[in-house]
Amino acid sequence: MRPEPWRDVLRSASKACVVGAAASVCAPWGCGETLTAPIAAAHGQDARPRPGGTLRLASFQDVRSLDPAGPTDGLAIQAQRLIFAGLVDYDEKGHVVPELAETWEVADGGRTVRFRLRPNVTMHDGSELTADDVKRSAERALAPATPNPNASYFDQIVGFEAFTARQKDHLEGVVVDNRYVVSFHLKRPDATFLPMLAMPTLRPVCRSAGALYDDRWTPCGAGPFRLPPAGWQRGMTLRLVRHGAYFRPGLPHLDAVEWTFNVPLLAQRFRFEAGRQDLLRDMTQPDQSRFAADPRWAPFGGVEANTRVYGEAMNTRMPPFDHIEIRRAVAAAIDREHYRLLKPAYLTVLTQLLPPDVPGYDPDVRGQGYDYPAALEHMRKAGYPYDPVTGKGGWPEPIVYPLYDQGLLVFTAQLLQQDLARIGLHLDLRLMSWPAFLALQERPGGAAISQANWEMDFPDPSSFYDPLFTTASIGPEVSYNVSFYSNPRLDELVARARTELDPSRRRALYGEADGILCDEAPWAFAFTYHGYYLRQPYVRDLESRLIGGGDPTRAWIDRESDTLERAVGRLLP
Amino acid sequence: MLAAHVRARFAGSRSALVGAVIVAALVVFAVAGPGLARHGPLESDFVHGIAGGARPVGPSASFPLGADRLFRDVFARLASGARLTLVVASAATLIASATGALVGITAGWYEGARPRVPWPVLVGCVGAVAAMLAGRPITGAVAAIAGVVVAAVRPFVGPRVDVDGLIMRVVDALLAFPFLLLVLAVSAALDRATAVTIVITLGATGWLGIARMLRAKTMQVRALDYVQASRALGQPGARLVVKHVLPNVAGLLVVTSTVLLGQMIVADSILGYLGAGESPPTPTWGRMLLEGQDYYATAPWLVVAPGAAILLAVWGFNLLGDGLRDALDPGEG
Repeated sequence: MRPEPWRDVLRSASKACVVGAAASVCAPWGCGETLTAPIAAAHGQDARPRPGGTLRLASFQDVRSLDPAGPTDGLAIQAQRLIFAGLVDYDEKGHVVPELAETWEVADGGRTVRFRLRPNVTMHDGSELTADDVKRSAERALAPATPNPNASYFDQIVGFEAFTARQKDHLEGVVVDNRYVVSFHLKRPDATFLPMLAMPTLRPVCRSAGALYDDRWTPCGAGPFRLPPAGWQRGMTLRLVRHGAYFRPGLPHLDAVEWTFNVPLLAQRFRFEAGRQDLLRDMTQPDQSRFAADPRWAPFGGVEANTRVYGEAMNTRMPPFDHIEIRRAVAAAIDREHYRLLKPAYLTVLTQLLPPDVPGYDPDVRGQGYDYPAALEHMRKAGYPYDPVTGKGGWPEPIVYPLYDQGLLVFTAQLLQQDLARIGLHLDLRLMSWPAFLALQERPGGAAISQANWEMDFPDPSSFYDPLFTTASIGPEVSYNVSFYSNPRLDELVARARTELDPSRRRALYGEADGILCDEAPWAFAFTYHGYYLRQPYVRDLESRLIGGGDPTRAWIDRESDTLERAVGRLLP
Repeated sequence: MLAAHVRARFAGSRSALVGAVIVAALVVFAVAGPGLARHGPLESDFVHGIAGGARPVGPSASFPLGADRLFRDVFARLASGARLTLVVASAATLIASATGALVGITAGWYEGARPRVPWPVLVGCVGAVAAMLAGRPITGAVAAIAGVVVAAVRPFVGPRVDVDGLIMRVVDALLAFPFLLLVLAVSAALDRATAVTIVITLGATGWLGIARMLRAKTMQVRALDYVQASRALGQPGARLVVKHVLPNVAGLLVVTSTVLLGQMIVADSILGYLGAGESPPTPTWGRMLLEGQDYYATAPWLVVAPGAAILLAVWGFNLLGDGLRDALDPGEG
């Protein structure tokens, strides 16, 4: 039966009032609940993987696109990694390892990277992967008409400018040497090229994708899972099924991976406890604490690396944040310790761009910090002095602050509103849907200030500096540089750092860049936190990776009830 | 003035009195509550509002209903929410009742007849529907009113129309949609949820039931002997409606409006709970319930307070409505 989500929504909303009322009667007298026990695995630890089963996941978010060349987000990347295999990939610690490429060699003083492809790799449409596919996929992803916010990552490829300016029909720097060998020629050595190539952006796509981006295309690659017809119900569910001809023999073990989107945090917990969701990543603070403290669950929990930065992005092209002193005032007015109170066990205050688990993080950097008198002084310098005693002065108009309904961020937005009101900046919070929020935030002139966050794509500072703050990452339609910040000096430092192979000189360049960002404050850096996830014990061999979260390629389901269900399912019509 | 027997029947009903007391208490809470609170509803208290483990403090002398996740006074927020909820629900009920009464009485009065409808009225109505479909409800209302005003200023001819049939088919079509789905659809079509847009949304979608009931009651009144006699004597229709129909349907209108007010409170809370209500930090009961639900096991007061408020308010208005029905129309009670 087709799901009717509005019925569920209305029913659950109506019940919520009744449940709330019922809770009001029983909760004060100790109707506290206990967590249900984990569902044990059917076999011992030394059991061999069994094929079959579905890994069921959920998220409070939605995915925008499954095309690796299109606009993307953190959740979409997880699915893209399963559909599309890359020439190289990351291992669990974030090191670059071969995937579709059997080997690679770096030649010409670091200006050429040559890949030898695995032979007999079958893509989802049944065709064999060849070097032509690699070149076609790269050109499709970097074509000027493709709304690819990551395109600027690859501007070191020879001929990039001519190709993106439509002066050349092909990308000169990607050369097919023979059926199984493809070379990437770079303008200069680039320390970040291989890690960037492990991102989904340039991963080979099937010939059905054509040479040009089209968002109606059914995603098709060479990854362990493929998208079946009607597998993606936008805004609701995504089901990927096993690619039988995956190039790693015997993998994947799972029949399918399923996501359900837009599931509230509390509902996810109930589904997880009931065994209808196998992995739990989105948790409320109380639930996180209770699961972590429960000895039955603790062995099945894991802490993710601290690789995500959260902050307030200020649009440097919109008033009042086109004034540097106002931005500095905001950065100094935020009392980040108050943010930390929202998730004290997992949230860490951040005063610089890079989170602690990202290479290049410097614990000694003071960066931005809470300094109320300084914030008032910056407001005065901007020409909008504010008197906290009388409450007079400040920016005369309310400033619209768009936000989407995600628990933690709704609360940080309200704390920000309180902090900024104390320096005479009055935010008008406006709730909207996640797609509407993104459309507004990533468009020039869309949002003056908004909450922004970024997760490491590859283990290098470049993963943060390039997309978030360089001029090249400002696009006409979709920009990851949501503060639309442009500073030639910063562009130069970041470009030099990418081609600098000496670690200490590289560190110095990024250090100077961080100083500029902390001072000019296109973002007010706020916090980072360790993600915490739980799995049911019957989910076996789910690899947790530094980048991209859990990898279900080798995972398998070891649940007795599934076996029973499958048996009953075969008996019943 | 209410007749003595009506007052006596109302006073004799225990449930009606309980309802009246709850509603009166709610009104007092909404009016005086924000003034009694020691903290502002939007202010976090990072000194006294925090308990161990960075949890919000529970009920105490300083925070009578505890603090919320941002260490704000739940009592102050509940009282502010009560004020907003009552204003929104009352205004929406007023709009819905007036619209429902106008539509229901018109349909009931013209049931079985095919009066001539002046062209400006028809054009205005068609324009109103088109504007509504285009997501411009205010333009639609202006178009409809303009049509009626133009027709009232100078006489126009027009075609014979089955007014009752037309109106009731529209009502039937709208009733086919679940009320809350309709509310959410209208709410989503509006650019931004504010108290005004929520009032318009609830008012514009909440009149259907009242229209049906008043239509039936109007048909009943119209068939009474003395109304027929007045009609036979040549009394104009408008005067008959004002003089005979309105007084007879007033009791039913009061009862249904009272019950509707409770429903409006629930609808407003649901909008808040689903994130389609007023944006934070404005305190609404539905939003408070949503924000507190994560803490229902560790800080139960966060769901207790708004949950109990919604429950009591709806219960109070329902009891009051039932009591009024028994008092005003005991034959149907």
